[in-house]
Amino acid sequence: MSVAARPVRNPRRRRERLAPFDHALLICVLGLLGFGLVMVASASMSIAESCCGTPFYYVIRHTIALLLGLVGGVLAYRLPLLWWERYGAWLFLFGIFALLVVLIPGLGHSVNGATRWIPLGPFNLQPSEFMKLFAVVYIAGYLVRHADAVANRLSGFIRPMILVGVAGALILMQPDFGTTAVMLATVMGMLFLGGVSVLPFVVLIAVVGAGLVALVFVSPYRMQRVTSFLDPFEDPFNTGYQLSQALIAFGRGEWLGVGLGNGIQKQFFLPEAHTDFLASVIGEEFGLLGTLVLVAAFVFVTWRAFAIGARAQAVGKAFAAHVAQGIGLWIGMQAFVNIGVNVGLLPTKGLTLPFLSYGSNSLIVACVAVGLLLRIDATVRLAQSEAGPRRGLKWVRA
Amino acid sequence: MANPSRRPRRPLESPQRRRPNLVLRRRLLMVGLAVAFVLLGAGVFYRQVVETDFLQTEGERRYLRVAEIPARRGMISDRNGEPLAVSTPVETVWADPRKLVERLDVLPELARDLDLDPQALRERVLAKSERGFIYLKRRIDFDEARAVRELIAREHLAGVDFESEYRRFYPGAEVFGHVIGFTDIEDRGQEGIEFAHDAQLQSEPGLRRVIRDGRKRIVQEVEQLRPPRQGTDLVLSLDRRLQFLAYRELLAAVREHEAVGGTLVALDVDTGEVLAMVNQPGYNPNALRDGGSERRRNRCVTDVIEPGSTVKPLVVAAALERGLVTPTTEIDTEPGYFRVGRNLVRDVHDYGLLDVTGVLAKSSNVGVVKIAQMMEYADLWSLYDDLGFGHVTGIGFPGESPGNLRHYSDWRVFEHATLAFGYGLSVTTLQLAQAYATLAADGIKRPLTLLKREPGAVVPGTRVLSAETARAVRTMMEQVVSEKGTARRAAIAGYRVAGKTGTAKKAGPNGYAGRRYQAVFAGFAPAERPRLVMVVMIDEPHGRSYYAGVVAAPVFQKVMEGALRLFNVPPDNPPPSMLLSGRGGSAL
Repeated sequence: MSVAARPVRNPRRRRERLAPFDHALLICVLGLLGFGLVMVASASMSIAESCCGTPFYYVIRHTIALLLGLVGGVLAYRLPLLWWERYGAWLFLFGIFALLVVLIPGLGHSVNGATRWIPLGPFNLQPSEFMKLFAVVYIAGYLVRHADAVANRLSGFIRPMILVGVAGALILMQPDFGTTAVMLATVMGMLFLGGVSVLPFVVLIAVVGAGLVALVFVSPYRMQRVTSFLDPFEDPFNTGYQLSQALIAFGRGEWLGVGLGNGIQKQFFLPEAHTDFLASVIGEEFGLLGTLVLVAAFVFVTWRAFAIGARAQAVGKAFAAHVAQGIGLWIGMQAFVNIGVNVGLLPTKGLTLPFLSYGSNSLIVACVAVGLLLRIDATVRLAQSEAGPRRGLKWVRA
Repeated sequence: MANPSRRPRRPLESPQRRRPNLVLRRRLLMVGLAVAFVLLGAGVFYRQVVETDFLQTEGERRYLRVAEIPARRGMISDRNGEPLAVSTPVETVWADPRKLVERLDVLPELARDLDLDPQALRERVLAKSERGFIYLKRRIDFDEARAVRELIAREHLAGVDFESEYRRFYPGAEVFGHVIGFTDIEDRGQEGIEFAHDAQLQSEPGLRRVIRDGRKRIVQEVEQLRPPRQGTDLVLSLDRRLQFLAYRELLAAVREHEAVGGTLVALDVDTGEVLAMVNQPGYNPNALRDGGSERRRNRCVTDVIEPGSTVKPLVVAAALERGLVTPTTEIDTEPGYFRVGRNLVRDVHDYGLLDVTGVLAKSSNVGVVKIAQMMEYADLWSLYDDLGFGHVTGIGFPGESPGNLRHYSDWRVFEHATLAFGYGLSVTTLQLAQAYATLAADGIKRPLTLLKREPGAVVPGTRVLSAETARAVRTMMEQVVSEKGTARRAAIAGYRVAGKTGTAKKAGPNGYAGRRYQAVFAGFAPAERPRLVMVVMIDEPHGRSYYAGVVAAPVFQKVMEGALRLFNVPPDNPPPSMLLSGRGGSAL
């Protein structure tokens, strides 16, 4: 409680506080980004050397994406919230358009049987990654515009779900089950937080859940993935291969890990070590300690986002609050699902680890999201300082 | 984490009928997320701490392997250290069929680079497509390895890799092939010295525990389980230069006289070391060994001949030893044939009255039978037996034949006669060389060896004949190489050469039928104190002549001349011109 008293005692520090920055969040995210670069290097070097001739193939690309992401984050930070609120729906429609373009034969770029990219010169655009952010912004705007309908009428709830459902269906056609699941879960979480009445919400969860389960049963490869994650060592050379190798990586890590660069599983045992299974490499090289620090970092980012959202709501900035909570949900869930998949808690699906995994689109979008989050924080702080010190200020320091 | 605080509830929108409790919902969701992350932490803890042993065992099954540390088989060299069989590191190309089945399109090119049958390779890969390892081709040469490397780089081919092995290489090729033999693909000796001394030459690969990556490449060595044991080198008694000379001359003679084969063996009189041992036909142990055993036999050791007239000096030696004759004792060979029981012993011509020296010089069958008949059966047998006929020489060569010498208790009178001129018994050329080496060594029989002896060491032997007898026989044998004898062409300028020809009819399935002969010349030089013994046998010469003096003696002459020079043997019969130029060189 002394925290709350400090601004009163030290007005100069109070002014410093006005510098609109959540330093802890920024440092945490920058730390994750830097750690991600190191781990991508560790995980990809031997693969890169054999496939692409230079061990730095992925490191160079990841670094470029990182720089683009930082630029994107700064731009997002400088963009007024009003812009997002005003153009949120357009962004969302643009995203759906981009998802359609991906699916046009000849335009979309495929890797390993999944068509997720639009080739733009040296850069491959992955609309589904951006769609997660656009959905958050769109739903936040919708919740503000139709708060009454959302809370009291079924239509207010179904309307946004239909649009998001269309986006989800398009992503599912790529196919990208993981991204669809994370996006839908984020949107539903936002609707829940936005005040959707509980009954239709429960019905919707049941329907969506049933739909996802049905999807699993309809396409055999998903069924296989679902069943194989329960015991990957039953068929460790086919369906359980990737997960069993990931689990071995964790098992080898023990408490403190084998040390940076000493991992074996990344040496052509574990596929996608530098993308979807980066957490396994961290688990092997840094052990339980490293993995728990990683989890804690994502918990911190998520909690921080929710805290910013709470403060935004407290100062009456509903749109900002919804966006902040949506970003927190999204990043938290994606990290949870990714690490959960890595340790065999969840069925195997392709999802990147936010801020860390190789994959420029995912990295850039995550940076933009954090830039937006910091902007919200700054805006809220400004509003708070204009309104004068209040009890809620302790959230600043929490 | 949520700090409980009472927050003033502010209306977000227009007046509402129902206000959802947003703070409660947020807390519920955060609790849900917190539970999820706690579960995640628990899952990580389970994998990294609780299940770690099982997972590490599973991992070790995948990446921990026991790999061999290649060890080098012992080198075989000649007496001067020239390599005759060396193991050189080469590459073996192997494949992971599980990966290769996905690239069936590159198989034809791969097969071409490795000189394999594309269809067979394809079938092999498909048949083993569940397996993780097959040898594509072992011990490939440099060009093949380079071609495959380029293919891998060009096609981004996965599942094809190299490992290091040793390959046996024989610099002596055909010249030493029969003696050295060869090893199989597992580096185990199969024939010749490689087989006989396999235990000594063999290396034992070491073992190490290694970590292999997913492409089965070794990325780290964990521990050495057993150090490699390198094979022990072996130094042979053979002299590479002499062997080459002997091979060349024998080959030339076999060609010239249209013979089916031939052998030559040269011994060091003082040590019993084999200095040269060559055969025709030959084979190249470096090449594909498809010649069959016909070409691979070391005939000096494995094949027997009837020695024919080359045993006559031995008969004379036995008689001299017992004081039954002297070199000048006269033997009547008239009329050129001699009845023994119901059979007739013939000479080529009627030589009339010959002394014992003349009997050897002219190679008179009648004369030598008459000398033999002065002795008991046992006298001749025991000399032959003492000289090693009917026994393996102990040279330790695989497949050595002991020859055949019937015990005298089974002899009949005509057999006694034929044994005196070299029929009715069989010996290897090596045995014949050993008998002659005994004569050359003043009657001392020394054990033979293919391994180099300690220089200067005295080699103990057994006395078979008195020194006087041996010298007397050698002196008589010099006449064979004289103008009067049968082997003028064996004479070497500057040296006194002693020897004996033997032209034996070859026994076939139908007895001694047809014009099939084996022409043998056995001799030594210098005659006064012989240093080298050499036996040359030309098998079935089909040219103009088949007489040993014409067919075998010139080979002896050329090779022995070279050998005397190679071993720096001083001339014991320098011609006057040599003496003149030697002494008066500066005066002229």
